[in-house]
Amino acid sequence: MSATDIGLDLQHVSKDLGGRTIVDDLQLDVRTGELTCLLGPSGCGKTTTLRMIGGFLVPDRGRVLISGQDVTTLSPDKRPTAMVFQNYALWPHMTVFKNVAFGLRLRKLPKAEVKERVEGVLDLVGLTHHVHSYPARISGGEQQRVALARALVLEPKVLLLDEPLSNLDAKLRVRVREDIREIQQRIGITTVFVTHDQDEALSISDRIAVMSGGKVEQYADARSLYREPATTFVAGFVGTMNTYEATVVPGGVALAGDLVVPCGDLSATGDGVWEVGVRPEDVRVSLDDAGAAADVLREVPRGHYKELVLRAGPHELRAFVGSDLPPADRVSISFARALLYRDGVLHRSATPVPAHS
Amino acid sequence: MVLPPVAVIAVFIGFPVVAAIAYTLGRAGGPNSVVASLGQRQFIVQKGVTFDAYRDILSNPTIHRDLWATVWVTIVVTLVVVAVSWAIALYLRLTDSWLARTISALSVVPLFIPVVIASYAILVFYASDGFIKTVAYHLGFHGFPTLGYTLTCVTLGEIWVNIPFGVLMMSSGLNGVPNNLIEAARDSGATMPRVVRSILLPMNVIPTVIVATFTAIYVLGSFTVPYLTGPTAPNLLGPSMANFFNSFNQPQQAEVLAIVVFVLALGIGAVYVWANVRTGRRSGLQS
Ligand SMILES: Nc1ncnc2c1ncn2[C@@H]1O[C@H](COP(=O)(O)OP(=O)(O)OP(=O)(O)O)[C@@H](O)[C@H]1O
Ligand SMILES: [Mg+2]
Repeated sequence: MSATDIGLDLQHVSKDLGGRTIVDDLQLDVRTGELTCLLGPSGCGKTTTLRMIGGFLVPDRGRVLISGQDVTTLSPDKRPTAMVFQNYALWPHMTVFKNVAFGLRLRKLPKAEVKERVEGVLDLVGLTHHVHSYPARISGGEQQRVALARALVLEPKVLLLDEPLSNLDAKLRVRVREDIREIQQRIGITTVFVTHDQDEALSISDRIAVMSGGKVEQYADARSLYREPATTFVAGFVGTMNTYEATVVPGGVALAGDLVVPCGDLSATGDGVWEVGVRPEDVRVSLDDAGAAADVLREVPRGHYKELVLRAGPHELRAFVGSDLPPADRVSISFARALLYRDGVLHRSATPVPAHS
Repeated sequence: MVLPPVAVIAVFIGFPVVAAIAYTLGRAGGPNSVVASLGQRQFIVQKGVTFDAYRDILSNPTIHRDLWATVWVTIVVTLVVVAVSWAIALYLRLTDSWLARTISALSVVPLFIPVVIASYAILVFYASDGFIKTVAYHLGFHGFPTLGYTLTCVTLGEIWVNIPFGVLMMSSGLNGVPNNLIEAARDSGATMPRVVRSILLPMNVIPTVIVATFTAIYVLGSFTVPYLTGPTAPNLLGPSMANFFNSFNQPQQAEVLAIVVFVLALGIGAVYVWANVRTGRRSGLQS
């Protein structure tokens, strides 16, 4: 991969605010045309990172590069970035058309070209009616599209979105995020999308940077992030994970209380106590005596599958099983896959068994 | 439930206003009979109305000069107060330093000083033996003008009195503009001056109109500042009114002047209402 393939590069970026280090030696590269999500809990520094990319904050240390060009100290008006704000930040005294045209007017483009480009981008976001309405008179979803159009019309090199869907209701959120992804891929714009909703991140990103305490915990595509969380933080934040302290024994793991659970695929082997993580779909449940015994505490229907809450010895665990499994009070469990962590970090010494799904 | 307030307004405001207007039109009966029995140079009719009192006042050359003085001082004070309070409020909105906080605190100080005391202080400050002249003298400007008892002094005093309201109003207006509207404009490529022109200015129209109209109306009807710091003549209509009432014992003429001032204020009020309606219609918002 050559340097020009990298649309956005954050090199060892740090920011201190109010005497605390909010973003800490952050490394992130986004390929040209790629959509990266910054995913993390509230207060982990997502917005701060985005604001440094947009030029609203200057990093205390480190550099920001856009298409290989250092923009670290440029003000927002001089950067090839465009931001979609969380509550849209539409100017209430301007019509939809004027909101979108504002940046073009600043560039002193001819009137006819402004009109053409504004109409083009409003068409792109599917907002050809309401062109001359004021923002207060259109719905939240439409305002969101205007904000997106206003950012896209300037043809920025990098598009920044800070929780752009959080003011929409659940249904609309899913639809608009798909629209955003579709438009982003159509025009191939490098995009950074901030969210704390893992569902959103997993469904629209090329890659996801999971952040915690101002650092990137893991930067990977949705699939590897889910299958191989690099840290226990990521494991707990993305999806559900059963975690236990355990030791490795031949053919499986031994949990506290001398409960030995067979496991076909361990990420590592070695002596001592590990933190073991097992995804609920990797818990195999059968009605024979092949594995460790467990009691069924609860059964939660989830549509095409069901979730079992189980107790094995002193441990509680969750398993996703097919709806066809007959109800039972007592079952036998084994792990299809288990990830071994030490000091919160995934250990991988065994080559991963390819998933058969 | 609406009856008590309406009754209070009718008795304490509506009725006296109607009586006063009737008096200026020559009707001296009923509630005007006492004042009419004492006043001089009255124009009274038994039937119908007469505009002789208005003619008398409006053909008086002294009043002409007072009227012009009032209009000019009002215009200058309004412009200066709007400009200065805009500048201060804008500075406060865009910076957060100890200097900004100090200015913001200082700008409301006049609010806590009674106008009478402030007027005397201003007078002494600009008097022929006052601070400004003394400093100018020591700096070598021996011919520095004395501003005490001039319309300039009245103008400076009125500005001083009206600045706090202006700054408070403009500040609250500008603080109502969310940061991300400013940031979005910067992001679109606007420089700071352009943000002020295209975002802050149009979003702060109503507070600006409020400051302008309220200041103008205040100055039109003001008495203390021009009375204490202004010249004998021409002066603002406030002191003239007092003269006609107290010194000349011509209450009818004083009330005619009051109505002239009221009509001017009404015109300014109309501007305020018009601006409100216009902005409301454009944005679909209240402010
Ligand atoms: N100007 C500031 N001064 C001091 N602390 C700040 C400032 N701005 C942000 N912070 C702190 O930095 C931390 C990270 O803020 P940031 O807005 O980046 O979080 P976030 O990841 O976007 O969270 P959320 O999901 O809630 O939006 C927060 O704890 C916040 O209190
Ligand atoms: Mg945030």
